[in-house]
Amino acid sequence: MDRVDATEHFAQHAQGDLPSLLVLIIDINPIPWTTNPLSTALPFNTALSNLLLFLNAHLAFSHTNKVAVIAAAAPRGGGAKILYPAAELPTDTKGRPQSRPPQPAPQPGEPNKYRPFKDLEEGVLAGLGKVLASVNEEDDGTDRTVVSETRIAGALTLALAYINRLAGAGADNLGQTLTKGTGTTEAGTMQSRILVVSVAGDVASEYVPVMNCVFAAQKKHIPIDVCKVAGNSVFLQQAADATGGVYMKLDAPNGFLQYLMMAYLPDPAARQHLVLPTQANVDFRAACFCHKKVVDVGYVCSICLSIFCTVPPDNICMTCQTKLAHTVGGMVVRKKKKKKAGTATGSGAGTPTVGTPRP
Amino acid sequence: MADSDDEYIGSSGDERGKRASNSRKQKGAGDAGKERWEEIQRSWDNVVEGADGSISAAVVGLLEQNKRKRLLKDTTPLQRGIIRHLVLVLDLSIAMEEKDFRPTRFLLQLSHACDFIKEYFEQNPISQLCVIGMCDGLAKRISDMSGNPVEHISAIRKLRANGVEPKGSPSLQNALDMARGCLWNSPTHGTKEVLIVFGALHTCDPGDIHMTIKAMVQDKIEVRIVGLAAQVAVCSELVKKTNSGSLAGYGVAMDEKHFRDLLMANTTPPPTRQANTNASTLLTMGFPSRFSNPGHPTLCACHSNPITSGYMCPRCMARVCALPTSCPACSLTLILSTHLARSYHHLFPLANWVEVARHDVKKRSPKLCFSCERPFPKLAALPPSSTVAATGDLATKRTSNAPVPGVKAVPSISSTGRYACLDCGKWFCVDCDIFCHEEVYNCPGCEADPEGKEKRQREKEALAAKETAQTGQSSAAQGDAMEIDG
Repeated sequence: MDRVDATEHFAQHAQGDLPSLLVLIIDINPIPWTTNPLSTALPFNTALSNLLLFLNAHLAFSHTNKVAVIAAAAPRGGGAKILYPAAELPTDTKGRPQSRPPQPAPQPGEPNKYRPFKDLEEGVLAGLGKVLASVNEEDDGTDRTVVSETRIAGALTLALAYINRLAGAGADNLGQTLTKGTGTTEAGTMQSRILVVSVAGDVASEYVPVMNCVFAAQKKHIPIDVCKVAGNSVFLQQAADATGGVYMKLDAPNGFLQYLMMAYLPDPAARQHLVLPTQANVDFRAACFCHKKVVDVGYVCSICLSIFCTVPPDNICMTCQTKLAHTVGGMVVRKKKKKKAGTATGSGAGTPTVGTPRP
Repeated sequence: MADSDDEYIGSSGDERGKRASNSRKQKGAGDAGKERWEEIQRSWDNVVEGADGSISAAVVGLLEQNKRKRLLKDTTPLQRGIIRHLVLVLDLSIAMEEKDFRPTRFLLQLSHACDFIKEYFEQNPISQLCVIGMCDGLAKRISDMSGNPVEHISAIRKLRANGVEPKGSPSLQNALDMARGCLWNSPTHGTKEVLIVFGALHTCDPGDIHMTIKAMVQDKIEVRIVGLAAQVAVCSELVKKTNSGSLAGYGVAMDEKHFRDLLMANTTPPPTRQANTNASTLLTMGFPSRFSNPGHPTLCACHSNPITSGYMCPRCMARVCALPTSCPACSLTLILSTHLARSYHHLFPLANWVEVARHDVKKRSPKLCFSCERPFPKLAALPPSSTVAATGDLATKRTSNAPVPGVKAVPSISSTGRYACLDCGKWFCVDCDIFCHEEVYNCPGCEADPEGKEKRQREKEALAAKETAQTGQSSAAQGDAMEIDG
């Protein structure tokens, strides 16, 4: 009992000073949301209201906390888009915002609603409506067969750029910006994290961009949390593992709100005191480039790092067309290299082998 | 000693004087007879007053220029040595006691070396490193060749904790010989590099250093040097000979930040030179799976520490605690596919973005940065384009709609504060430009709006087709003999 004293209170204060930014990425791919096991357990509108509740809870922690919401769509289902906060349009000379859409009339029924909650709710719904409308409207003859995979790299890149903007905003005045060195953008001004609510699988061609995002997030200490409502995604598993985020595959999607509140609400500062769900088995297996087979012992081209499950025919790398030597089998074979642009400079002369005369 | 240090004249006390004379030597050739101190750049000359008499616009422009300066990378995809073997040679000689870098050269070197090692392994996860020190005319091994950054950093920290003081003279030859020994049995598919921090102006060698340089060339070891005092002839010769005649790898630091930049430039894998090509090979690598059995710790094969979770070698089932490593039992290289992915951005660099010209900013063009939605500055608030004459040729490039492959952006401020990706045509602010090129290596426009990119690609192709058709037609009209059948 005597451990309950005032010091805890002070400690909490010191940590709570740092504002926390939560970037939520919602997968709006229609196919998984409307297929049966998920559509009955967790319809999209229920999920959305749960998410709004969750975001409100985040905002309620501190008035300095911030939220951003980004939509990620399927290939050919519209791109990634920031839904909230709505873009601030530059004002014209008279201080009027240029071509701002007409403000919705204030809802008469909820005069007592906390303002940030209301702004958030209206902003997200309006943004989502706009994105869906634009997808429906646009008909430029492209093939719109929606697939059950979702492009996540664009949304992640947007999220990182947005975090970068907010984190750098504190150092906007002249002196600080000048002295700011490469890559030392103060992440200390704001604690950021990304939460991906994902329902679909990966787009295989996105591996490199997704991984680039993951490494950037890792470098800036931004955890990527993943809430896997349905489907399976190896990329996101690796993302959560590499950045120290929480990855959870929901067994019972109808308890969505509880999952969100229990596992994803605590910010990184609070997490070190909590026991959070961990992933026992992360899928780290590599798929070979030749047969898309999952391998555990493979062959890697030393030039382009392509993975093969067997020695490629004629020892020629299928990606970069280099003739490779397989060292285990004895002699290393010299190869004739393709001349690449740029390498010619400085290499033409070769290295003189004659030493300089001694003094 | 006498036959190798022809640059060394007096005691190390006159380093200051030597530095001045040397820097003159460097510069002197270009501008006839003008001394360095005669070219004075006044920072206030660069500032142009705006129409309303304020300089805020010019200041914004200068800030942007400063930021943008860092982005002038060549983005031609080169073949690079991704698997590197590097020996980092630190100078622990008496010259490092100098206080011209704060707090001292020695302490700054140690802290920068730690940062370098961290960054090196971040950029080159499947590479190896080893640290050597030069003091008392000897080369001393600080840490062994390994791929674990923690070992190197703790070895360097230990130097400081043990109170090692810089003393004696450095010996380039001994250091190079030891480095050669370290790189002796590194595999042929990797690069062999030596990076030397050289604070002294002389070297104290037991034999002929030129023989050692020759041996380095034969072994295809590339040597790069960061000097702290002044350019030294033997260093430039060493760099030139081991880098096929290019002196790009030798830089002399002007201040603390420059020192750091010079070091960090070496974290990017070097482009493969034709003269230096090693055999590329097919490597056998293992992609281990993770095991975890909480409550039942096992000993790891690499350090004999009890662990509850780790990785298992797929070939011999030995358990290791950290990756990447080579299996202690069967010496198979064990990595994760994420380690390979970390190097991909060197192989597929993001193309530079070009400045948007003033006359391309129309009433209906985007008003917000595509990625962070920050509003662009209004044209009226920007400095007049006369201060930024260099944008001209880029502007014409852009309007002609022909993306020049690997456009080398001229170091200039955008007169509009807007930067455009040539692939997707989206516009970005300068902060996003820097962030995307230095940290994410993705274009937000190309990733977030792949359809827009494809559409633009199609338009471009259509335009190109139209142009060729037009030229075909005009030539037909001129020739008056060709018939185009419908």
